[in-house]
Amino acid sequence: MTWQKVCAADDIANNTLQRFEVDGVAIVVANYGDGFQAIAPYCPHMEEPLHESGILETSGVLTCSKHLWQWDIRTGEMVGMAEKSLLCYEIKVEAGDVLINLEKELVYEYDEEDELDDDDFFN
Amino acid sequence: MKIKVQTKGGSYDFDCGPEESLLYAGLRNGLSLPYECATGTCGTCRARVVEGKTHLEWADAPGMSYVKQEKKEILMCQTRARGDCTLRVPGKMTGEIKRDRWPSYFVGQVNNYRLVTHDVSLFDVKLDKPTSFDAGQFVLLESDEVVGTRAYSMVNYDRETNKLVFVIKRKHDGKFSDWIFDNNVEGKSIKIFGPLGCATFHPKENKNILCIAGGSGIAGMMAIVSHGCQSSYFKTHNGFIFFGVRSKKDIFFLEELSNYVMKYPENLEVTIALSEETNATGLQECYQNLRFATGFVHAVVSEHMTDKYLDMLAYVAGPPPMVDSALRMLVLEAKFPGTDIRYDKFT
Repeated sequence: MTWQKVCAADDIANNTLQRFEVDGVAIVVANYGDGFQAIAPYCPHMEEPLHESGILETSGVLTCSKHLWQWDIRTGEMVGMAEKSLLCYEIKVEAGDVLINLEKELVYEYDEEDELDDDDFFN
Repeated sequence: MKIKVQTKGGSYDFDCGPEESLLYAGLRNGLSLPYECATGTCGTCRARVVEGKTHLEWADAPGMSYVKQEKKEILMCQTRARGDCTLRVPGKMTGEIKRDRWPSYFVGQVNNYRLVTHDVSLFDVKLDKPTSFDAGQFVLLESDEVVGTRAYSMVNYDRETNKLVFVIKRKHDGKFSDWIFDNNVEGKSIKIFGPLGCATFHPKENKNILCIAGGSGIAGMMAIVSHGCQSSYFKTHNGFIFFGVRSKKDIFFLEELSNYVMKYPENLEVTIALSEETNATGLQECYQNLRFATGFVHAVVSEHMTDKYLDMLAYVAGPPPMVDSALRMLVLEAKFPGTDIRYDKFT
């Protein structure tokens, strides 16, 4: 476990998303009212920066406004038209700070270095 | 040239001419390749070249920012084949395009060109062969006299028609719109590829409709309302049309919209939202069956539509900031699921 502080819990208003860098790794943290979620910073569809394109509802549904892919921010699971889940970091709040387990940077498969024979392009 | 497209759902083959884009070749062969703008901006038609030589036509296309060229990725709309090719296309393919909606190439002639405001023109294009399209679809227009293609939605809705109607707003530095506005284009020849786009209206969906348009984004909404009236849809369904413009001098189509409302006054409602005008004096007296409001169109929708979002599909079209505001409002306030919002990203 490599727990690292991202920000103070008070830094992020309810139902908003903010982008942070921790050890050079970009992440987006969502405050969904009764909890926090930390996700890879881009939409898994077309790599839109979710801190700009994301709309977070009080119900906990996150919508990327570019193509209306949606997820349950609490779990990262797909809702509606989305075809890929969100990649989420382990997260906890301790003593007013938001911490994530940053053992490994989470990246969607479109970012992985791969051989053309790999099937990842279609996942 | 033979093109093979590999997708998660299987492989498809089609022929491509030397002077056409890979995207258009696939679409006109009925393959539902992913795309939105089809003109190099949105990045949705990204694919990877597995085998074969290709040529990128517009290296500076904004959509190239989505493409990893080192991985041999391309935008299919901006790429031509230089021989037989194999491509990989990501994402879900939604199946084949309905046979009578396969896009194809047309040649047309500009007719009835006229200005409807200081910076908006309306014209017909008479096609060399008939076509059918869905209300809300668009085509690509191209002239030999200007470089590049532009996407425009049809204003009319007709089946097996030789006539397409367009409304075009003059854009700052818009090469095609400059050509339209600065030349006597009446009778000029124009190339067309289409129909395209999936922000379409289908009566069988059986839902109330909300249309939010800014400026010339009203074009596709006019086709939707026309189809709705032709199919008596508004006898049994509500239609709420919101048309946002800056000021009185930017308004057009009032006569046409008023005539539509006259047919279905109980269920069809049209609101003109003026963002830079404090009152609509004069207009309301002339068009008593239309509503006039002041403010940005998404705000006017928000104020007026509370509690009316029942069993509804929303269509959005207009300048990008307007579209973004409207989407945000629909998701956050009106609680629309993404599946009930339709818009095509041209820009």
